[in-house]
Amino acid sequence: MPATEVVFELDGLGVSYGGKQAVQDVTAQIFRNEITAFIGPSGCGKSTILRCLNRMNDLVPSARVEGSIRYHGQDLYAAKVDAVEVRKRIGMVFQKPNPFPKSIFDNVAFGPKVLGMQGDMHEIVERALRRAALWDEVKDRLKTNAFGMSGGQQQRLCIARCLAVDPDVILMDEPCSALDPVSTGKIETLMIELKERYSIVIVTHNMQQAARISDRTAFFIVDLSSGEGQRIGRLVEYDATEKIFTNPADSRTEDYVTGQVG
Amino acid sequence: MGEGRVHFQQEIQQLEEQALGGLDMVVGLLDEALEALDQADAELAAIVVADDDRIDGRYLEVHQGVLSLLARQAPVAGDLRLVAALLHLVKHLERIGDQCTNIAKMVPLLGHEPPTDEKIVERIRAMGAQARSQVRQARQSFALRDPELALDLSRQDDTIDCMNREIFRRAIEIGGADADLREWAMSMVLVSRALERIGDNAVDIGEQTVFVVTGLFRELGEERTV
Repeated sequence: MPATEVVFELDGLGVSYGGKQAVQDVTAQIFRNEITAFIGPSGCGKSTILRCLNRMNDLVPSARVEGSIRYHGQDLYAAKVDAVEVRKRIGMVFQKPNPFPKSIFDNVAFGPKVLGMQGDMHEIVERALRRAALWDEVKDRLKTNAFGMSGGQQQRLCIARCLAVDPDVILMDEPCSALDPVSTGKIETLMIELKERYSIVIVTHNMQQAARISDRTAFFIVDLSSGEGQRIGRLVEYDATEKIFTNPADSRTEDYVTGQVG
Repeated sequence: MGEGRVHFQQEIQQLEEQALGGLDMVVGLLDEALEALDQADAELAAIVVADDDRIDGRYLEVHQGVLSLLARQAPVAGDLRLVAALLHLVKHLERIGDQCTNIAKMVPLLGHEPPTDEKIVERIRAMGAQARSQVRQARQSFALRDPELALDLSRQDDTIDCMNREIFRRAIEIGGADADLREWAMSMVLVSRALERIGDNAVDIGEQTVFVVTGLFRELGEERTV
């Protein structure tokens, strides 16, 4: 498939927690205006790698990152890089919707206010809610508490909150695992619309979801071969999603996507 | 999931348009093959043979699209029937393309101003028009999801089968001592056979229309081949 501009360049990326290797030697490129999916069994390191992409692992004291990640050609882990700025450019949506105990409006306005963004706050909030396909459902109750929304709406609110600070990349860690199929469908449609403007990386346990919406898929495994009960996540295969699901190159990918292991 | 599958619905629609577009291409190829035959135009015949690669290319595109859709979107119910039917449809249109090539390949073998038989020439023209019309109707039946049009195809196919038998009998009748005429007549029997098969492929596409609409597979007509 034709490749667009490279957003992330991962080279020999590995992460250890307290000296214990969690994931090792991940080399891959993530492209602009695409949805990239990370799939694989539990413990394969897919969420760990995702968290490296906006330096969320900085918040875990024992975590150590090796190898390199270049973001638009710049070393993401260079000493001069401000992690807060990184997380503004590279937003994250989590498994469980986590709105603040505030109004819908304040949830979306929170990031722009903290960052001191210029412009009409109402416009900023409306634009973010529209892009998150939530505006029509909430425009008449912006001042009500976000906890009154359904789970699917809360998750789209979290996406709107992420969009409000005008990011470049959206990372999603199993964003639909707490949602019903209807809400999942809405989020998936939204993601396909959002990739026109943003680059999206998603971790999902739902292989069919990766198949349905992603352009490229990375398949990770848990490698037990180092012995002594060591479990190390590794990237097995990374290719166009169509290729991964119709004719994968590695037999381990084939076994996983056909449901024979994992 | 309704709203959540908008992009999937677009994808499936594009795939159908690609397949139906392939049928349009194959009608154009048939026109060229019939004209090459009628005008004894070996150059045009060579173009037909070369153009069949485009039909094969379309077949491969739709085939890959169907595999991708099955693997990625897991279609069910009506969507699944449509995707399965598209796979058959492109196979049939690819075969129609092959039959056009078979007709075109006869053209340079006929030689310069061979002896001919007016009745056979007239019958071949009529068969060509009939085959073309059946392919068009098959396309329409599929695009409109119209089982009645599809059922009508099997009635129409009796006409083409009948003409095919007539040409076969006529070729035997006019055999005689003229070896060149015999050779020409044999070539026309092969052309006739190719056109008759195109009619069958059109009926097969009609069967896929019925399958998409009803979920039932019905063999339309009983004696479609000689």
